[in-house]
Amino acid sequence: MSAPSGALLEARGLAVARGRRIVLEGVDLALMAGEALAVVGPNGAGKSTLVRALAGLLPAAGGEVRLEGRPLAAWTRDALGRALALVASEEHGPDALAVEDRVRLGRYPHRGPFRPWTRDDEDAVGRALDQTGITHLRRRPLGTLSAGERQLTALARGLAQQPRILLLDEPAAHLDIGHQLRLFRVLDEVRAGGVGVLAVAHDLPRAGAWASRMVLVAGGRVAAQGPPDDVLAGRACAEAFHITIRGHPVAGLAHPLYWFEEAPT
Amino acid sequence: MNESGRRRMAFAVLGLALPAALLLASAAGTVWLPLGDLLASVASAAGIGAASPLATAGETILWTVRLPRVFLAALVGGGLAVVGATLQAVFRNPMADAGLLGVGAGAALGAVLAVRLGWVTDLFLALPLSAFAGALAAALAVYVLAYAGGRGSIHGLLLTGLAVSSLASAGTSVLLVATEEFRVKTVLFWLAGGLEGRGWTHLRVGGALVLAGVVALAALARLLDVLSLGEEEAAALGLPVHATRLGLLALAALVAGAATSVAGSVPFVGLMAPHALRRLVGPLSRHLLPASFLAGALLVVLADLASRTLSPSMDLPLGALTAFVGAPYFLFALRAGEARS
Repeated sequence: MSAPSGALLEARGLAVARGRRIVLEGVDLALMAGEALAVVGPNGAGKSTLVRALAGLLPAAGGEVRLEGRPLAAWTRDALGRALALVASEEHGPDALAVEDRVRLGRYPHRGPFRPWTRDDEDAVGRALDQTGITHLRRRPLGTLSAGERQLTALARGLAQQPRILLLDEPAAHLDIGHQLRLFRVLDEVRAGGVGVLAVAHDLPRAGAWASRMVLVAGGRVAAQGPPDDVLAGRACAEAFHITIRGHPVAGLAHPLYWFEEAPT
Repeated sequence: MNESGRRRMAFAVLGLALPAALLLASAAGTVWLPLGDLLASVASAAGIGAASPLATAGETILWTVRLPRVFLAALVGGGLAVVGATLQAVFRNPMADAGLLGVGAGAALGAVLAVRLGWVTDLFLALPLSAFAGALAAALAVYVLAYAGGRGSIHGLLLTGLAVSSLASAGTSVLLVATEEFRVKTVLFWLAGGLEGRGWTHLRVGGALVLAGVVALAALARLLDVLSLGEEEAAALGLPVHATRLGLLALAALVAGAATSVAGSVPFVGLMAPHALRRLVGPLSRHLLPASFLAGALLVVLADLASRTLSPSMDLPLGALTAFVGAPYFLFALRAGEARS
C-alpha cells in the first residue's frame, strides 16, 4: 500500500483555505517512517493550518494529502485515528477528568463507542504515562495541573493512540527547559520505533537539534526545506523572521550555537 | 476515602435512598398507608403472599393515585438529570441544562396553544402531547437555525437556544393574554410544574419515552466523554462530531420533552444532580449518567412528596420547590467555582 515515494504522509500541491481566505498554497512535503520533521515559521505563516490539513481536519482546497499512498478521503475515520495522532498545543479536556481517564480516551479509535477497554488498552495507557513521566499524576484532575503537565497529558494521549504518524502543534509551548528536553527525548524514542514524527516548533535551535529535516513555512508557502542547519543558515529563514542568524560551530557539539538579532531596517 | 471508594459510597447511598424515598412517598399523603400493609399489597399484586391487608379506599389511593405519581416523579427527575449530564458534556459547560435547547419554552408554548384552542377539554392527553410537540419543534428550530448555512458552532447553538426560547416565551405570553380566564388556570398549574392527577397513562407514554432515551444515552456514554474533549480532538480521534452531537442533542430533547410534557417545568434538577455528583463519582459518563439518574429521581420524588404534604389545603407547585432548592445551589456553585479559578 506504500506510495512510490515510500512516504508515510505526503502533501502534493496542497492548498488550504480558512473561510474564503487561502492560507496555504502549493505545499509539497513528505514524512517518512522513523523521521523527525520540524516545521518552523513566523506567527501566522500557516503552520497550524498545515498540521490540521495533514491530519484530515481541514479539507484541501487544492492538491491532496496521501497517507501510506492513499488519499486521506479514502480512509475511514477510525482507521485514520489509529494511523495518525494529533497533539495540539492546548489541552481542552474537562477540569474534573483524571489524567489517566483522559489518556485512555486516546484508545477510542481502537475500540469505538461500545467495546470495553482491554488489557492492550491499559498497557498502552500505562506505557504512555510512563514515557511522558506523568505516572505519578494519573489520578489527578486536569484542572489541578500546571500548563506543562497538561501538555504532557495531551502528549501521553497521542502516544496511547499508538499511531504510525504523530503530528504535534507546538508541543513545547508551555514546558520548562527540563520538560522540553524530556519531550524531545520521548519524541526521539517514538521516532526510533518507526513512527513518523512531525512537530511545529518555535525554538529554532532546539527544533534543529532534534529534527532530521526542517520545513520552513512562510507566507502560506514552503520557503525552504532540508537539513536543519542548512535551513537555519539560509536566506529564506532570516527573511521570513526579519532577523539575522549567525551560527557558531563549537568543538564537541553536533550543531552550531545560534545567535539571533533583529534585522536592520 | 479514595476515588473509587467515594464512588461506591455514592452509588450505595443513592441506591438505598431512592427505594426508601419511593416507599415513603407511596405511603405518605393526606392518608397515611402503613408501610407493612403497603408492601403486602404490592406483594399480593405480584402474586406473592396473601390478599392485600389494605381497605378498598387504601388500595385505590395506592394503585391509582400514589404509585403512578411516585414512579413518574422518579422518571421525570432521573430523565432531566441525565439530560443535564448529557448537555454538560456536549456543551462542555458544567452548568448546562435542558433550558439551552429551547425545550422548556417550546413545551410551554405547545401547552398554552392546546389550552387556547380548547383541545384540552376535548382530547385525552392533549396537553402533554401538545407540550411534547412544542418541545420538539423548539429543539428542531434551534438545530436548524444554528446549523443553517454551514457547521454550527457550539457557541452559536447556545445563543440560538436562548433566542428561540425568548421567542417561544413571547408567543406564550401573547396566547395567555388572549385566553379566557377559566382556561388560564389549567395551564398555569401545568407551567408551574407538578404531578397532580397524573396516572398510569402518563407513566406509560411519558415515562416509557424517558426511560428509552435514558437507556440510549447511557449506552452512548463514551461518545459523550470523547465529545467533552472538544471538537478538534474528538474529530482527530475519529468521531463524526457534528452527526454525533446532533444525535445526542436529539435524544436529550426527546427525554427532556417527554419529562416536561408530563410534569411541566421542573427547573434546576438537570443542573444540580450531575453538577453535585461529578465531584463524587467523577466526570466519566458511564458513572455520571447512572448516578445522576438516581440523584435526579430521588430529588423529584422528595420534592413531589413535599409538594403534596407541606400544605394541608393544596399542592404546592413542584417546579417552585425544585427552584427553591436549586437556585441557591446554583448561586453557591457559581461562587465556589469563581473562588477556585
